[in-house]
Amino acid sequence: MQSENYTNPPAEVSAYLESEATEERSGWRSHRMRLIILVGVIALAVAYMVYAAFPGNTQYFVSVSEFLDDPRLHDGQTLRVAGALDPESFRREDGSASSRFALGDKEPDVPGLIPGTRVMEASYVGVLPDLFFNPHSEIILEGSYDAQSGVFATDNILVKCPSKYQSLQAENPDAVPGAAGATQGGY
Amino acid sequence: MAAIAGRPAGKASWQRGLRDARLWLLLITAVLMLVDGYLIFMVAPTDAVLGHVQRIFYVHVPISILSFLGFLICAVAGIGYLIRRTERWDRVAHASAEVGVVFVTLALVTGIIWARPVWNAWWQWEPRLTTTLILWFIYVAYLMIRQYAPTPQQGRTWSAVVGIIGFVDVPIVYYSVQWWQSIHPKQVIGPEAAEGALEPIMAQILVFSLVATLALFTYLLLERVALRGIEDRLSQLRREGNTD
Repeated sequence: MQSENYTNPPAEVSAYLESEATEERSGWRSHRMRLIILVGVIALAVAYMVYAAFPGNTQYFVSVSEFLDDPRLHDGQTLRVAGALDPESFRREDGSASSRFALGDKEPDVPGLIPGTRVMEASYVGVLPDLFFNPHSEIILEGSYDAQSGVFATDNILVKCPSKYQSLQAENPDAVPGAAGATQGGY
Repeated sequence: MAAIAGRPAGKASWQRGLRDARLWLLLITAVLMLVDGYLIFMVAPTDAVLGHVQRIFYVHVPISILSFLGFLICAVAGIGYLIRRTERWDRVAHASAEVGVVFVTLALVTGIIWARPVWNAWWQWEPRLTTTLILWFIYVAYLMIRQYAPTPQQGRTWSAVVGIIGFVDVPIVYYSVQWWQSIHPKQVIGPEAAEGALEPIMAQILVFSLVATLALFTYLLLERVALRGIEDRLSQLRREGNTD
């Protein structure tokens, strides 16, 4: 349309815009206040999110062996420990949601524990995630180490999956018997 | 006739041609989206680990990538506006920011739906999710600043600046999964993807989804640019009516 006219606004347009701005002085002020408040709120929100996402140089989680080797992490502070479930270790108390299990180091994209790796004892009360027993899953425990019992008391369980997708058919069924079973139910 | 009327007639027929092109694009988009739905639910294999929920991947990844494209167009058109100061550039920047916000909102929503069954949590304050939420805030602020500025002209200039600076977050979102070890999967397509991250059939369906979503994106963008043109014409007529 007449967009070319906007390259250099004609004098009457500039005058119109200026008169509008001076006429509504109070309105202009409140606009500016609103803008400052808006920018302030957004800046605070962004700053908080950055702070929440990257607390210093600490990692999002530590591996089981990093946890076992670092006594400073055993003081009861809340942290995340990632590893693979030792399927032999899983025990559940009859008639309760309490469970005990052990976690060991896991190689990315390789199902199960690294053979011969050290394990960490952990306890959890609650419903387990759907993919908890899948050997492909990397289990992330949120909780703290209880020095008295020597067990990692888990508050929350997260499951990380490999950055790799494969069909049921392509997967070698006898290598990972749990995988096919886990998906039978679907969701 | 057209020769006598000169430019206006040529412009009108050009605009009619563009309208027809949008109609055709809408039709093509509808067909592509239907075929895409069929491919996702009937052809794509069920993932061995995640099961059926993994099918949301064919929606989640394309809309995330195209939200980046929306913000890229917004930043480039913003630069164009700051240099040329013509409304055409602003129209494109405004429209692409709106479409980008819709797409990044959908990327967040589909991600949240996917995370619940797989991660066992709706949301995590981890790098990929947090930087994406920041991206959402930046371009929502872009749209708000247009409305809050004292004059439309200032709104255009300020939002162009926000759109250009805000684009800095896009590569941060993209590389966040490489830079920080976290719960979100790494890229499965593109230059950063690991070898064999996707089975060939999954990669093919993902590319098809990307094309279908690109058609939708292009249609929405063209439609919004045209609508902005009509809005501008209307406000111009209103102004002329007021001054007479």
